[in-house]
Amino acid sequence: MDSQTTVPATSGAFSAGMRLPQTVRVSGLDHFFGEGELRKQALYNNNLDVRRGEIVIMTGPSGSGKTTLLTLIGTLRTVTAGSLQVLGHELCGAERDMIVCLRRELGFIFQAHNLFESLTAFQNVNMAAELAGLDRRVAAARIEALLTRLGLGQRIHYKPQSLSGGQKQRVAIARGLVHKPKLILADEPTAALDEQSGREVVTLFQELAREEGCTIIMVTHDNRILDVADRIVNMVDGHIKSDVAVRETSVICEFLKGFPLFADLTPNTLAEVADQMMVHEAEAGQELIRQGDPGDLFYLIRDGSVDVLVADGATSKKVAELGQGQYFGEAALITDEPRNATIRAREKSVFYALGKEDFRRVLETSATFEEELRQALFRRQ
Amino acid sequence: MTLSRNTPLAWKNLTHDRRRLAVAIAGIGFAVLLMFTQVGFQNALFDSQVKMIDDLQGEIFVVSRAKYTLAAEKRFPRARLHQVRSCSGVAGAYPLYSELTTSVLRKIKAGLGNRGYPLRSLGYHLGDPIFRDPRVAQQSQRLRAPGTALVDVKSKLKKFDFARQPPHELAHQALELAGKKISLVGNFELGTDFAHDGNLIMSDESFARYFPHRNRFADPLAVVDVGVVHVQPGFSVQQVQQRLVQTLEQDVHVYTRQEFRRAEVQFWDKSTPIGTIFLAGKLIGFVVGMVICYQVIYADIADHMPEFATLKAMGYSTGYFIRLIVVEALLLSLIGFLPGTVVSRVLYALLAEKTGLQMLMNLDSLTFVLLATMAMCIASGLLAVRKLLSADPASLF
Repeated sequence: MDSQTTVPATSGAFSAGMRLPQTVRVSGLDHFFGEGELRKQALYNNNLDVRRGEIVIMTGPSGSGKTTLLTLIGTLRTVTAGSLQVLGHELCGAERDMIVCLRRELGFIFQAHNLFESLTAFQNVNMAAELAGLDRRVAAARIEALLTRLGLGQRIHYKPQSLSGGQKQRVAIARGLVHKPKLILADEPTAALDEQSGREVVTLFQELAREEGCTIIMVTHDNRILDVADRIVNMVDGHIKSDVAVRETSVICEFLKGFPLFADLTPNTLAEVADQMMVHEAEAGQELIRQGDPGDLFYLIRDGSVDVLVADGATSKKVAELGQGQYFGEAALITDEPRNATIRAREKSVFYALGKEDFRRVLETSATFEEELRQALFRRQ
Repeated sequence: MTLSRNTPLAWKNLTHDRRRLAVAIAGIGFAVLLMFTQVGFQNALFDSQVKMIDDLQGEIFVVSRAKYTLAAEKRFPRARLHQVRSCSGVAGAYPLYSELTTSVLRKIKAGLGNRGYPLRSLGYHLGDPIFRDPRVAQQSQRLRAPGTALVDVKSKLKKFDFARQPPHELAHQALELAGKKISLVGNFELGTDFAHDGNLIMSDESFARYFPHRNRFADPLAVVDVGVVHVQPGFSVQQVQQRLVQTLEQDVHVYTRQEFRRAEVQFWDKSTPIGTIFLAGKLIGFVVGMVICYQVIYADIADHMPEFATLKAMGYSTGYFIRLIVVEALLLSLIGFLPGTVVSRVLYALLAEKTGLQMLMNLDSLTFVLLATMAMCIASGLLAVRKLLSADPASLF
């Protein structure tokens, strides 16, 4: 049995235990601005996978290349070096016609609303619906529902002139969403909005991600909406400095907390542990641990369930059944003894596994921490 | 993705800014006016060149092959008309005599000769159905007396100020034609053109008296300027013309009315600078319109660059933008054309009154100016569309 992958648990590749298809796949992407002597590199060998239904927030100081990356993903700039796949299409060296078609699958929300002053809110949104070839009545119903949802129900047939800045931005957001794009690219979508309407917009984003499987990549400095991110990508000087699947990491941390030995760890340490875990997959009936083998890994069940079997002479007896969020394999690592039971997957399951060395190191930190705490408390008395 | 069914963006953008629309309409209307003025003058001048032909009766006309324009004094032997009469389908063939260079009309004042001015003298055999103007036939009795003539009331006022007087006053005018006394016994209406400042009509007998030397050493009426041929009812003009061409010698042209007209207009259009001058005028109108239209469309595009870039990012194709601008240009041309035409119409009426020229807005000139306006707007739209295509959606982030 070796279903161990090199995919880190916190990569977000498995969301709720499912390996999702990649919407955006960036590999070895470089980008340059200017020509000749003025040629300046803006992106350096970037790699990034964004999967279906993920909400990705890109952060970083201005000039770090996050907007450049966003425009490259949005097909608005030409990819010249490296590989960039969007919705299964390679953009490096892509045909003009293919790019025009691909753009119709995308939804753009820009910092400026860019609405036609001559068209009403409805007509502005309809410009996107028409392009998608939606039936007129379907489109009309959807536009009205969307604008109403965004708090513009009373102003559907107003021209931008008679709308406030925030209202205009919400019309632009409706325009970016009306054709149910598979990928939404947004630049500071909530910058012009107040707390409440900003929240409404990100809630809408979340619904689209969950229900329609829409992928959202957002550049934002708005701390109020960081909590909706499944993944936060931080860019500095043209490099992706960190790429953390925050949602999945917090799920793992929740699970780890359920393990008594880890219960006292600080959130930071838990996140570090999560980072060290690797993804394991198992088919139904596959044995993950065989009784009597030396122990080398600690397992957390991300999805699926397993049977715990203990050999009693020639026959083996099922002693327990474990499910999502539960763990196994810790005893052999703590005691350094062989495995005391066999674990067999009941169905297709996904596990996050931690190596023996890492596991031990965590336990030690945990102990130190406890000890320190005890001493601190003692000194206070 | 037809524009008609979808959001009418071209129309909305055009009509959104009322002030700009007003400027656009005024500008394009002005260009339309310029072109209409040129076309109107040109047509009026050509029409007056062929007014003489229009005022003749008959379906077929015989002229000397050497006669390149009505004003050219090239004649053919009268014997050709006998040949014409012998052809089947011909109801009659009548000679019309015309004289210009030696036909100088002079007003005698207090016994002293004033300076005279040349005008066209037309001679015909009294009773021949040649002129359409009914006044000629009505007054033909008066022409029987030798030395009498009818004068064109539309003769140039400056040179022939007496032409507009009523007949009884005309009779008192002391006048000399080609050095011989003449009395004007009535008037008719024909009009002037580039070559002729006025017209007289007289009997062939009087004509022979005034211009005895037009045919050297022979009967002055033996050479004819224009042969007017009437076709018998029920005969095809084309067939009769064919027959005449076969019968007659090669020294004459046999024209139908249309061909005669066209040949005359052709001469003034192509062989004189007139056509070129008006062409230049029309071109100037066209260019002025193009510049205005370009400005309007370019300003509209420049003001909406981020919006158009957004449409590009959304996946609107180059074809859509080109169609959008072409539609916008066409709308501009139409909404500029209508007021321009109305104003031109008024101007035509004013000019016709002032100059005496026939300013007619016929279907041909309407079609020509409309097509020119559309072409000018579309051309400038296509020039401006490059700006739109340069909209860079990457600049939006």
